[in-house]
Amino acid sequence: MKTGFRVFLAAFIALGASWCGFVLAPVLQLGTEKQTTVLNSSDIYPEQRPGAATLGLQVYRANDCAACHTTQVRQDGVTCQISLTSLGKNEPAEFKKFIASLLELPQFRACSNSVTAEFQAWNGELPETVTNLDADEAGDMIQHINAGGCKAEVQVVATGADIARGWGSRRSVAEDFLWDDPVQLGDIRVGPDLANVGARYDLNWQLQHLYAPQSLVKNSAMPPFRFLFQVRKIGSTPSPDALNLPAAFAPPAGYEVVPTDDAKNLAAYLLSLRADVPLYDAPFTREIVDTNNP
Amino acid sequence: MSDDLKNNAPAPENESPGEHSTVPMWIFGLLLILFFAGAIYFDDHSGWFNPQIYAPYQSAEELENYQPKSGAAEMLAQGKKSYDLICAACHGPNGEGKLGQAPPLAGSEWVNAKGFKRIVEIPQLGLNGPVTVKGQNLDFPSGMPPMGAQLSDADLAAVLTYIRASWGNKAEAITADDVKSVRTAVAGHSAINGEQGLDAIKE
Repeated sequence: MKTGFRVFLAAFIALGASWCGFVLAPVLQLGTEKQTTVLNSSDIYPEQRPGAATLGLQVYRANDCAACHTTQVRQDGVTCQISLTSLGKNEPAEFKKFIASLLELPQFRACSNSVTAEFQAWNGELPETVTNLDADEAGDMIQHINAGGCKAEVQVVATGADIARGWGSRRSVAEDFLWDDPVQLGDIRVGPDLANVGARYDLNWQLQHLYAPQSLVKNSAMPPFRFLFQVRKIGSTPSPDALNLPAAFAPPAGYEVVPTDDAKNLAAYLLSLRADVPLYDAPFTREIVDTNNP
Repeated sequence: MSDDLKNNAPAPENESPGEHSTVPMWIFGLLLILFFAGAIYFDDHSGWFNPQIYAPYQSAEELENYQPKSGAAEMLAQGKKSYDLICAACHGPNGEGKLGQAPPLAGSEWVNAKGFKRIVEIPQLGLNGPVTVKGQNLDFPSGMPPMGAQLSDADLAAVLTYIRASWGNKAEAITADDVKSVRTAVAGHSAINGEQGLDAIKE
């Protein structure tokens, strides 16, 4: 036992260091996360979930939806666009010359080629959008353009594969998960990301998709969650909640499919998943959430 | 002889080879390079542990640059730029004015008055003669040249809006359309003649 203390000390330091890195540091960094306001507005974000949605989070957890779905959008970069809305009294040809003279300035050297290419085939049609600028270039250029009597505005656009897929307008940030207990980020994408699924579809779609995914998304790999629904004989009056299913998925005549409380709560939770507002941490001005993409 | 043999004999080995071999220098070199690369990566990607900095933003300054500006905030920023460049030389960086050169703008009743015609006409046409500001009768021998005549409608509107929203002033914003309407109405007029001239402008 001569080395006992030394072994203990080494183990203590090794475990203590990882505890500091994996537990203490994140708590210090994000443990005091609070509600924030939406960019350029006084709206509070994120709002507390309605009760049904809070219960639905537990249904989401019980069915292990996070095994196949993530709820985090990734973002690779950010870019600024200038959207030209009015030329004032200038002629398009003059404006082209003006832009060409601007591009000789040293601060526009980096974007000069791409902007020239964008104006190559331009015939004066408005609005014209100049893409792929960084914040400094866009800010400088817009000042010159406005000084020339034209009207233009800067758009901040998040870029990345997830955003191109229409899964969100910006990356996910810590605030998005403020009301999640537990947070279910997920790490495998067998199905699409759900961070904005509430913004993409309505209640009827969510319920029908839970009961029969293939009726809405062809060749979907998602198993139907029929046990969240009740197939029952239509009573004296049909239930107002009954799903309106296409013939191939409909129950036999005289029967109806009614969602249980679990299904309604889960759908409410899915509808509450919408991280589609700009925040200080993740600014954007152009919405890219795709309402047609599953 | 026996002494020679003793001296030439190999030194006794009291350690087996390999056990105490020194660490090769290239490992130290590799560690240094890794440490250097790690430090650069940390500098680029940590955001200095600021909980608001996420990739792809690398620093608070960069994130600030990408904040979309609301229309009003952008107008004020633009107005401040032009004010500092053009107006501040005489009216002072904080609108305090300069004795014998320019009256104060901060708290001035002319600036905070309702309506936009008077305040647009002054920089558009220029102003001669004494004027009473904050109860003081101030005389400015050289008057004010038409400093705003060269600015675009939007720029002049931004400067005036900035003046009307700064240093304790609280008056409504001026739009580019306001400026335009006044400009067409007073095109060709000569400089405003002191306080009578200002009073003659009907809002």
